[in-house]
Amino acid sequence: MSTPAIRTFALSKHFGDTQALRDLEFDVGVGEVVGCLGPNGAGKTTLIRLLLGLLIPSGGRGEIFGLDCHRQTVEAHARLAYVAGEANLWPTLTGAETLHLLAQVQGHVDDAYRDVLVDRFDLDTSKKVRALSKGNRQKIILVAALMTRPDLLILDEPTSGLDPLMEQAFRACIGEARERGQSVLLSSHILSEVEVLCDRIGILREGVLVEIGTLAQMRHLSALLVEATFDGAVPDLTQIAGVTMVKVTGSSVTCQVQGSVEPLLRVMVDAGVLGLLSREPSLEELFLAHYGDDATGEERPPRAE
Amino acid sequence: MQSDVLERTPIATTMTSGTVIARLSGKKAVRSGVGWGLVFGVYVATQALTYASSYKSEAARRLLVKEFGSNPGISALVGPAFRIDTVSGFTVWKCLTVLAITGSVWGILTSTRLLRGEEEAGRWEVLLAGRTTRRGSVVQALFALAGGLGALFVTTGVLIVALGRSSKVDVAAGGALFFTMAIVAGPAMFLAIGALTSQLASTRRQAAGAASAVLGASYAIRMAADSVAGLGWLRWATPFGWVEELKPLTSPNTWPVVPIVAWIAVCGLTTVLLAGRRDLGASTLRDHASRAPRVGLLNGPVVLAFRLLRPTLLAWTVSIIAYGLLLGSIAKSGGQAITSSPALRLVFERLGVSGAQAYLGIALLLMAVTMGFIAAGQVSAARTEESSGRLEHLLVRPLSRRSWFVGRTVLATGVLVVGGVLAGLSTWVGAASDHAGVSFTSMLEAGVNVVPPALVILGVGLLFLGVAPRLSVPVTYAVLVWSLLIEITSGIAGVNHWVLDTSVFHQMAAAPSVHVDWAENLIMVLLGALVALAGVDAFTRRDLKGE
Repeated sequence: MSTPAIRTFALSKHFGDTQALRDLEFDVGVGEVVGCLGPNGAGKTTLIRLLLGLLIPSGGRGEIFGLDCHRQTVEAHARLAYVAGEANLWPTLTGAETLHLLAQVQGHVDDAYRDVLVDRFDLDTSKKVRALSKGNRQKIILVAALMTRPDLLILDEPTSGLDPLMEQAFRACIGEARERGQSVLLSSHILSEVEVLCDRIGILREGVLVEIGTLAQMRHLSALLVEATFDGAVPDLTQIAGVTMVKVTGSSVTCQVQGSVEPLLRVMVDAGVLGLLSREPSLEELFLAHYGDDATGEERPPRAE
Repeated sequence: MQSDVLERTPIATTMTSGTVIARLSGKKAVRSGVGWGLVFGVYVATQALTYASSYKSEAARRLLVKEFGSNPGISALVGPAFRIDTVSGFTVWKCLTVLAITGSVWGILTSTRLLRGEEEAGRWEVLLAGRTTRRGSVVQALFALAGGLGALFVTTGVLIVALGRSSKVDVAAGGALFFTMAIVAGPAMFLAIGALTSQLASTRRQAAGAASAVLGASYAIRMAADSVAGLGWLRWATPFGWVEELKPLTSPNTWPVVPIVAWIAVCGLTTVLLAGRRDLGASTLRDHASRAPRVGLLNGPVVLAFRLLRPTLLAWTVSIIAYGLLLGSIAKSGGQAITSSPALRLVFERLGVSGAQAYLGIALLLMAVTMGFIAAGQVSAARTEESSGRLEHLLVRPLSRRSWFVGRTVLATGVLVVGGVLAGLSTWVGAASDHAGVSFTSMLEAGVNVVPPALVILGVGLLFLGVAPRLSVPVTYAVLVWSLLIEITSGIAGVNHWVLDTSVFHQMAAAPSVHVDWAENLIMVLLGALVALAGVDAFTRRDLKGE
């Protein structure tokens, strides 16, 4: 197997007493698009900044195409491009000047593709950065990253401030990147974006990778979502094996089932079920299943500390 | 989950949104006003008490008057020496101009930070979404500045009144407060100018630059008024002249209060007027939002830094040349005054130094200080690239941290060397135009001679940029101001040589009145290079840090 685009070995980072990332083992294969989800403060940005060599690891290490993230930054950076969630650019330079500068520092740029991108993102490059909105600044760093056609794209909430039309353009670009065999690490809050674009998804929580897999694998891990309506009182479903998240509203109930649905169905049939709806959970529901605990404070205690 | 987070965080519930800017900014301004008030008060006390103990006899005081009483060169630097045979007169002479200028720099930095800096950082955007207008927020910020000024006045005043009660000084409270008012008048006028330029310019850097230009011009006009016979009336044309004309403690005059108050009122009102007429984050002066790309000087990080710093460097270049020409052209008369003291003349004759050279030897300290400010500005600019997050756009590309850091260092060093050469050349031109008899090579050497102390400051700044980035800017300016205060104080008082050695300017030979000490300069350059190297090493091993 070829060297993965990203690989980490027990990568850890703490800021003072705060453990931002803990013994992370993670990889992104060549040509793979991997999403990274997690609430604020879960360690997504810390992971990305470690991979970029902007932060120095407290323990472990990371590799980009087999190159050490901290010691071989120049070689590693020649093969990647990064889009930050905040585009703090030089206010007195225009968009065109900024792209020219970043291209010069990068060293190699596909000029024709840059023009296509400027067109596609509908970017007015004659305006000074100072006069641009947040979304337009974001477009500049998106174009600056994509125009180099890097082997690896590292994107940290790249669509913040973009309108839906531009988000479509962004998705098209990532789709093209995938077709060309470029690898992508995408950190995002927008679940639908991750759901559409990513081959595999990792979920970070309090600096720990709590889940990683394809969407299908994660669906398997997760429960089936069941909604039912009864003609009388809702029976007690909480004692049935594999059933969780029971929520009763009048004569209706929603719950999740892991494993076989047979025990649940038996109880329901006995209680006189009128209507039944079941479906696979969306990524959003999977996400909430992981972080829902936060709100209720039930089940497993936080793994940190 | 989101609502849960919101419920748990008591956002702004402790403050009414109507005055939030006044409170937040006021706290910062007052804190800084108290801090500088302490420095000012202690400085005044040091000068007064040192004089009282060093110049006890009438004879000693007469000698002092003879040496400095009518020296146009010295007057040009720190103002005319009026009644310096008294504790009060001497203290006013040593403190008033120095503190007026220091305080004015504080004023510019404080008002541009609280008005334009906060707005530039986008913090007002959050606040203005609440119940306040743009004009309202500027008014609030002006109140905050007034609070800071009040804190400066009260702190300085309390210390000076207390000093006045000492039997050695013996000044009534009324006189002490008038003196305090005179000291604070400079900062007040430049707080106001900073507030005004914050409305005109669109970045803090531009606003501070424009206000500094006003300060430089005001100082230069005062310099001419105090040193050139027949130009005394020019004092009425400059804020620093008004401050001098107040003549606190010696022969108090309240008339200059009129232009001072008028200046502050006009600036304040214009600020409020302009604030209501522009967009948030925008400037009043025309700022072209679009233009055809200019891709010159965009080929790499170092040339980029040079391109971005061009306006600042141009302003420094103009200041250096103007100062050089001015210093050079008053060198002869300044020198005559110095050598009118028989003892000093004997010393200089033995050394084979002309009066003009002797004067320039002292006056070029100003150039060295200017170089120090340029060096500190370079450290600040480099730190801003990092704290703003802009540096990341370069460092995530194939550019090593080391080459960025070394590039900035080389650029800053180059700027300082060019500045030193310009200082020497322009001073020579000024002196030659007055036939002061100063040779070209000696002035060129004297110009280069002011660079090494600035390189030490640069080195210290770069060391901290590597080791403790958030401290780098305050520490760099602290080293500079500390050294400056020691140089000003050491002339009169017998300061312990260990303390003297902590000033970066202390090892600098007073060229052209003495020969340049190249060995000493080499040591300073090596010291600067060594600490800068430690800085670059630390920089490659740490996290990048925002604000």
